[in-house]
Amino acid sequence: MKKLRRNIRALTFFLCGLFVLLAAYGAYSLSTSGGRWFASSANTYARARRQGVIAGDILDKNGVVLATTRDGERVYAGDEAVRRAVAHAVGMPSGNVSNGVETFMASYLYGFNMSFLERLSCAVKGEPRQGDAVQLTLDSAISRYAASRFPAGKAGAVVVMNYKTGEVLALQSFPNFDPMNITAQVRNDPQTPFLNRATQSLKAPGSTFKIVTAAAALENFPDAETRAYQCTGQLQVGDRVITDAGTDLAAGQITRHGQLTLRRAFQVSCNNTFAQIALNLTDPTLRRTAENMGFNDNFLFRDLVVENSSYPTQNRTDREIAWTGAGQSALTATPMHMCLIASAVANDGVMMEPALLQRATAQNGKTRYVFSPRVYRRAMKAETAATLKEYMRSVVTSGTGTQAAVAGANVCGKTGSAEIDTQENTNAWFVGFLDEADAPYALAIVVEDAGGGGSVAAPIARDIFNWLLENDR
Amino acid sequence: MKNRKKRRPGSAAALISAVMLFFFLAFLLLAIKEMSLQCFMMALVVPGIIFVGSAGIPKLFPADRLLLSLTNFLCALGVLVLYRLSPERGLAQAVNYGVGVVCMILCTLLVRYLSDWKLPAALMLLGSVLLLALPLLMRAEERNGARNWVYIGSYSFQPSEIVKLALLLCIAYLLSNRKVIVSIAFAGVCLLCLMLQKDLGTALLYYAVTLVMLYAATGSHLLIGAGLAGGAGAAVMGYQMFAHVKKRVAIWLNPWADVEGDGYQLVQGLIAMVNGGAWGVGLGLGNASVIPYYYNDFIFAVVVHEFGWIFGLIVLAMYAFIVIRGVMIARRARTAFHALLAVGCAALIALQTFVIIGGNIKLIPLTGVTLPFISYGGTSLVSSLCIIGLLQGVASRNEADVSEDRELAMQGGDLK
Ligand SMILES: [Zn+2]
Repeated sequence: MKKLRRNIRALTFFLCGLFVLLAAYGAYSLSTSGGRWFASSANTYARARRQGVIAGDILDKNGVVLATTRDGERVYAGDEAVRRAVAHAVGMPSGNVSNGVETFMASYLYGFNMSFLERLSCAVKGEPRQGDAVQLTLDSAISRYAASRFPAGKAGAVVVMNYKTGEVLALQSFPNFDPMNITAQVRNDPQTPFLNRATQSLKAPGSTFKIVTAAAALENFPDAETRAYQCTGQLQVGDRVITDAGTDLAAGQITRHGQLTLRRAFQVSCNNTFAQIALNLTDPTLRRTAENMGFNDNFLFRDLVVENSSYPTQNRTDREIAWTGAGQSALTATPMHMCLIASAVANDGVMMEPALLQRATAQNGKTRYVFSPRVYRRAMKAETAATLKEYMRSVVTSGTGTQAAVAGANVCGKTGSAEIDTQENTNAWFVGFLDEADAPYALAIVVEDAGGGGSVAAPIARDIFNWLLENDR
Repeated sequence: MKNRKKRRPGSAAALISAVMLFFFLAFLLLAIKEMSLQCFMMALVVPGIIFVGSAGIPKLFPADRLLLSLTNFLCALGVLVLYRLSPERGLAQAVNYGVGVVCMILCTLLVRYLSDWKLPAALMLLGSVLLLALPLLMRAEERNGARNWVYIGSYSFQPSEIVKLALLLCIAYLLSNRKVIVSIAFAGVCLLCLMLQKDLGTALLYYAVTLVMLYAATGSHLLIGAGLAGGAGAAVMGYQMFAHVKKRVAIWLNPWADVEGDGYQLVQGLIAMVNGGAWGVGLGLGNASVIPYYYNDFIFAVVVHEFGWIFGLIVLAMYAFIVIRGVMIARRARTAFHALLAVGCAALIALQTFVIIGGNIKLIPLTGVTLPFISYGGTSLVSSLCIIGLLQGVASRNEADVSEDRELAMQGGDLK
C-alpha cells in the first residue's frame, strides 16, 4: 500500500503537468499567433463586427495619411504614386492583398481592443465607435521614390529597412495597383498585382545566398580566409557540371576564375568555389548556418506575415548540395528575409525583427501601442559579420556590384542572378546596406525575369541609397 | 491516526448556491432574450439538477462536496452552451444530465456496498469484449472515419464509453490481485477492437489510462518503458495504415494550408477562441456554430469564444481540481483495489480533457473524443458522471472507514 501511495503521488505530478502544459501552450500560441488567427480572412465573425465601427486612419512615419474613412467610405492617400507605392503594405479591407495592414491590424483599426468602458462611453454619448489610428514605420516618400526607379512592366519587390531597429521603410511589390481604382484588368492581370512579392513570394535567392555559405565557411574553417580554391569553370559533381555565369557550353565559351580566395570568390560570385565550399562544409553544417539565419523557421513576426524560407532537407544529392552553396537548387526565400540577412551582417550579426507598426492611438488619445525594437535572433558571430561586411563592401568597390556604388558612402552588397526554370531571363537580385552610422539602412531588390543582379538591380539600389543619404540621414 | 479537519458544510453550501444562481441567471437571460417559455423552464430545471447532484447526494452518504460542485458546474455549463447554440441539443443534454446524476448515484452505491468484485469483474471482462466487438459485427456505417456506434432502432450509443467504466473496474481489480499479465491482455484486446473500429482517440485514452494504472500498481519503469515503446510503435503503424490519421496529422501540422477544406474545422476553432478575447463575446452573442461539430469536438472553443480565455483557464483549473481531488481520494483509499480505481478515474478525466482540449488548441492532433461533462452526447456525459460516481464511492468508503476508526479509537480499540 505504501508503494502504491508513493506511485500515485508521482502520478499526481504527471496528471497536473498535463493541465499546466495545456495552459502554457494555450497562452503561448494565443500571444504569438492570436493576431494572425484574428486577422485571417476566414474570420467571418470579425468581418461582421466591423459594421458600425468607423475604421481608424493609417499614417506613415511622418504623419502622411495613407488611408482614412470619409462618409463611411475608405479612401487612400491623395497622390496616386504614393497609393501605389504602399498598396501592398497597406492592403485593403476586402483582403484581396493578404495580410495588409487593413486586415492584419484590424484589431486596432476596428477598435476590437476597446475596453468595455470605452464601448459603454460611446454608447452613452450616442457616438459611433471609431477604431484606433495606426501609424506605420513606412516612409511614403522613399516608397514613392523607390517605385519610380523600378523598371516599368517588370514584376519584383523592394524592401528597405532600418537594420538597427527593424523598422520597415518600404515594402513594395510590383506590379502594384491603385486601391482607388481596381479594374477588371487589374483583377485578371496574369502578373497577379495583388500578390505581395516582398513577403509572400518564395524564390531561389541565387548568389545572394552566398552570404550564408560564406558565413558558414568563416565559422567552420579555421583557415577560411587563406584557403586557396581552384575555379576551372567546370566542376563535375555527380553526373552534372557546375558552371559560372557567362558560360555557354554549346558555344564553347567558359568563364574561369583560376585560383582564388574566399574573399575574391565572393567578389566575383564564383559558383564553382561556393559549390566546393558547400561540399566541404557538408550539408548539415551549411544547413545549421542557414537555420541560424532564419531558414526553416516559422516566422512569427508581430507586425508582418512572411512566408517561411526553406533550406531543403530531402533528396540531398551532392549535386543539390553543391548548387545550394551557390543559392540555387530547391532553396527558397522571400525578399524580406534576404533583406533581414543583409541587415544582420550590417548590425554585427544581430537580426532585428522587422516592424511595421510605429504607434496605435485610440480615438480618445490614449496610446495603445508604441514600437520598441525587438531582436529576432543572433544570426552569426560578430566577427563573422565584420568579415562579411568587408566582403560585401568589396563587391561594390571592385566586384559584381560596382553599379551600386555611391560616391562618398560605404555601400555594401551582394548581387544575385537566380535561374528560374520557367523564365527566359534570370531574376536580378541585390541585397545590401549602407555602412553609415547615421543612415543605417538595408535593402533587398528583386526584378523578376530581367537579367543580372549587377546590371539591373544594383543601379536601383544605388539610387535608393543616394536618396536615403540625401533625405534621411 | 490523522486528525482530519472537519469540513465546513457552510462554505460548500455557499458554493453550490452560487453555482445554482449562476445558471438560473444565465438561462433567465437567454429566456428574456429569446422570449422562450421553454428556456425559462430550463432556468428552473437545471439548478434543480445541480441541487440534487451536489447538495442532495451528501445527505445520502458521505461525499466529496467540492468534487460534486465542480462536476455539476461543468455539466450545467455544457447544457447552457449547447442550449444557447441549439435548443434541441441543450434539452437533450439536460435529460442526459439528469439520467447521468442518477447513474452517478448508482455507481457510488455500487462501490460503497459491493465488497467482493470477483464475479462482477469476470462478467464485465466478458461483457466489455462483446460490447466492443458489437459495432464491428453490426457493420454499422462509418462516422467521421470511425465505426464506433451501435444502433438499435432509432436509439444509438457508443459502447466504448460504457466499456470505459468496465475497463477501470476490471484493471483495478486485476492489478490489485497482482494479475498484471491478464490486465495487459484485457487492455490489449480492447485496444485491438478500438483500432479495428478506427476509434483511435478512444484507443489512445484506453492505452494511456492502462499505462497509468500499471505504473501506480507496479511502479516498474521497465514495464512503462516497454508500454511506451509499444504505444509509439502502434502510433507509427496507425499513421501508416489509416489515411484519416495521416490527414489529421497533416491538418495539425498546418491547418492553414487548406483553410476552406480540411483545415476548416481547426482554423475556425482557433479563430473562435481568439475572437472571444479575454472576456468573451458574451453569452448568446457569438457565432461559434460555424465550427463543424462545435457541440462535441470543439465545445471548449465555444466556451472560450462566448466567455473568454480567462474563463477557459478557470474551466481548465476546475478539471485540474477534479483530478487532484480524485488523486487525493486514491491516496486515502484503504485497499489497493479502491486506490487503483480512484487513480484510474482521475487519470481518465485528466487524459480525456488533455486529448480533446490539446486538439482544440493545436497542441496535439485532433482526435474525436469528447470533453468530459461538457460535450454533447448522452453516453459520454453519463459515463463521465459514472466515473465521478465511482470516485465518490471510494471517497465515501474512505470516510466510512475513518469514522469506523474513530469509533474504534473511542472504544479504546487498538489501531494497526
Ligand atoms: Zn569561378
